[in-house]
Amino acid sequence: MGKRKSLIKIKPKKYKDGEIVKVSFMVMHPMETGMRKDKKTKKIIPALYINDIKFEYNGKVITTMKVWETLSVNPVFTTYMRINGKGILKVTYTDSSGEVNEKTKKIKPKG
Amino acid sequence: MQRRDFFKKLGTAVAATAVIPAMTFAADAPKPKGPNEFSYKQAVDIITGGKSAKSSSKVQLKVPEIAENGAVVPVTVTVDSPMTESDYVKAIHILAVKNGNTRCIDVFLSPDNGKAMFATRIKLGQTQEVVALVELSDGTFLTTAQSVKVTIGGCG
Repeated sequence: MGKRKSLIKIKPKKYKDGEIVKVSFMVMHPMETGMRKDKKTKKIIPALYINDIKFEYNGKVITTMKVWETLSVNPVFTTYMRINGKGILKVTYTDSSGEVNEKTKKIKPKG
Repeated sequence: MQRRDFFKKLGTAVAATAVIPAMTFAADAPKPKGPNEFSYKQAVDIITGGKSAKSSSKVQLKVPEIAENGAVVPVTVTVDSPMTESDYVKAIHILAVKNGNTRCIDVFLSPDNGKAMFATRIKLGQTQEVVALVELSDGTFLTTAQSVKVTIGGCG
């Protein structure tokens, strides 16, 4: 499969220490439900979806999500987060096939 | 004799053509089941553990009233909560009542989030209600629901 494309966005772009910011995480993922048929081969496409997502900020777990196959293709997950000093935001996501990927973003508050 | 044979053959041929489509229909009839099947009642029972959930105006569910494409429906849940150590939103569950699997996502928050809000995009198979089920840190459950009209289904 190779690595999937993913992206972490923080809004607003410039933030201060202690501020509450919007964090959105996007993944390029097919999110197959296991109920769709291939139009050419008439065979059912096996299910493949994201199971688990974990947001970690400096090693501390902030948000965990249990995901089912009923989310849209290329899903987006948006929450808020309190900035608490310099550090790294790490998002780990697990597939139903057992594939584990992660994406990190450096957090640098100004002022 | 020839006439008799002809009718025999005709009879078997008709029977065979009648049976074959019936068989293919029978094979098609059971819908392919998804990996997880939860009815709405089952899902709510699993999440709440038998407790009753109050409908509350504290929970705001933002879904478009008419979704043109059921494959991508944006959903936003906002909960009015101070998000302190003693009083915060523990979990947000999003359910779609008439989908094969009603459970869409379970989000477990912590006081570090600062604001109880969650947004994502879900699939809807048909016109139905979307329900947000929220668990607070003291163990109470709050719900809100909103119906969405889907013009093109996008689930299976």
